Amino acid sequence: MTARALSSLELGRNPMRVLALGGALVALAFFLLPIAYLLSVSFKRKDDVLAGNFLPVDPTLDNWPGAFAATSLTTFIANSVIVSVLAGILTIAITLPAAYAMIRMGVFRRFLPQATLASYIAPPVVGLIPFFFLLKTIGLLNTHAGLILVYGLLNIPVAFWLIGPFLRRVPVEIEEAAALDGAGRFRTLVSVVAPIIAPGIAATTIIVVILSFNEFLLASGLTLTDGMRTLTVGISLFQGDRLVNFGQMAAASLAGIVPIYLIAFLMQKHLVEGLAKGGVK
Amino acid sequence: MTSLPYSDAIAPATRARPAADAPARRDRIVGALFVAPLVVALIVTTLYPTLFLIALATSKSTLGKPFRKFVGTDQFVATLTDGNFQIAVAKSIAFAFASATVEVAVGFLVALAFVTLLRLGRTLLVIALLPLMTPPVMVAVAWKLILAPAGGLLNGVLMKAGIIDAPLSFLATPFLAWLSIGVADLWQWVPFVAILSFAALVSLPDGVQEAAMVDGASPLQRLRHITLPLVAAPLASIFLLKLIIGFKLFDLVYVLTFGGPGFATTTATFGIWRLALEQFDVGNAAAETLVYAIVIGIVTIPVVRLHRFASENQP
Repeated sequence: MTARALSSLELGRNPMRVLALGGALVALAFFLLPIAYLLSVSFKRKDDVLAGNFLPVDPTLDNWPGAFAATSLTTFIANSVIVSVLAGILTIAITLPAAYAMIRMGVFRRFLPQATLASYIAPPVVGLIPFFFLLKTIGLLNTHAGLILVYGLLNIPVAFWLIGPFLRRVPVEIEEAAALDGAGRFRTLVSVVAPIIAPGIAATTIIVVILSFNEFLLASGLTLTDGMRTLTVGISLFQGDRLVNFGQMAAASLAGIVPIYLIAFLMQKHLVEGLAKGGVK
Repeated sequence: MTSLPYSDAIAPATRARPAADAPARRDRIVGALFVAPLVVALIVTTLYPTLFLIALATSKSTLGKPFRKFVGTDQFVATLTDGNFQIAVAKSIAFAFASATVEVAVGFLVALAFVTLLRLGRTLLVIALLPLMTPPVMVAVAWKLILAPAGGLLNGVLMKAGIIDAPLSFLATPFLAWLSIGVADLWQWVPFVAILSFAALVSLPDGVQEAAMVDGASPLQRLRHITLPLVAAPLASIFLLKLIIGFKLFDLVYVLTFGGPGFATTTATFGIWRLALEQFDVGNAAAETLVYAIVIGIVTIPVVRLHRFASENQP
């Protein structure tokens, strides 16, 4: 924090701001600490890990290639990316037209929005056994397609919650103009409404993709072989290993988080806005 | 916008049927087509699991061979009278309420600090995205490294400061294990509460605050009598959301404690997972799942009522 930034806050004149700045900095330090420690441990040698210092004494890069060599980390990450991105697209493809129909065309507006949101209350464990048998029956157990289907459908309530407020804010006049020009509902949605709420769609897509990327409970039951395991399941197995190498574990975890952080960093504005708008009335 | 191409698919229909209600009817058909996939999705994600679980719970079932024999309510009786399961459900509920209460309070305070800092706060809020975006499994790994008895950061700091002589096994004593799960959960979800609270706070009308300032109200008085009543409804929403998320607790337990020490941190979800995927006792796991889902529904109702009350009585 530079002196100029501090003075621009006029700290001297406002004690509430000093208090707020102190509180905010403590919160930020707390938010950053585990990630910073993970990063630090990923550069520690085996005996260095046991010393309990924050920073590595004698930093090494070995843990990073080591983590990729010790597990099928690349496969896990690829599986997670494929599954979460395609599931995200499926979620949006189902939610956007449905939300448009409910909110702008009044289709089943009495109960369907509530039913959609209420379905989010059920914990994921409810789906664990039924989805296992469903995927087994249709031959999609332990496949990308199976997980994509499950995540794609399960994230619909979250997508609806986030995208609804954006849809409500589209001026009706624009849709009426499109209708006068002869555009049908589908064309209005695709060529007129969707471009207007593109930031909302982007934020919603990113959030549902991240939710799938981060999911663990269902992935642990619906994938059975190393070739199909997602990253979270792979890391949890790393965990169970008796000869667990903390440095490699930290490196593996970070390698899996980096794509998410990159997305979060690049799309920060959309994400905060998407969450904030979707949020709460 | 002015030169939208005329839709060929729809135009002939309009001309062929001049009746006034034709567009309305077409709208209804299009609307039904738009919501159909979502309705199917809801059936697959809610109705189907419910019916399937009922079928499993009333029959002798394993992961390999479901529906071997109809056993009626036997497994429900076993579930309801299982002391371990009752305790697991109670712990799940206690955790959900405790974590939601603490995290909404802390997150709201963080949001207040950020709002007071104006533009700087908005910038800092972006850092709050990091914990929220981190996969819970990795959150648990990071906290496990911090809390480890041998070489953990916290033990290192506490020993160097002379507060403790020997390293503490945070995850091996019931109380500290729960506290550790709570701290990891707090780390992940306080940012979520803070971002939503921040949005609620910045959308408040400026005039009210200024009027109160002119009247000489202190910052604390303004918070108590003006800000809090205005954000009560959004805070109730956030609490409800976090409560629902809290009932889903699983990943942190799996990685940090695996339900232990003993069964100390075995929540309902974790217990069901073990019963189904480690012991393959799908029948009893289905019965437990249904009971847990119903219990969640029942304990959530008062919060939903409170939420509705807060929304309807918004000043």
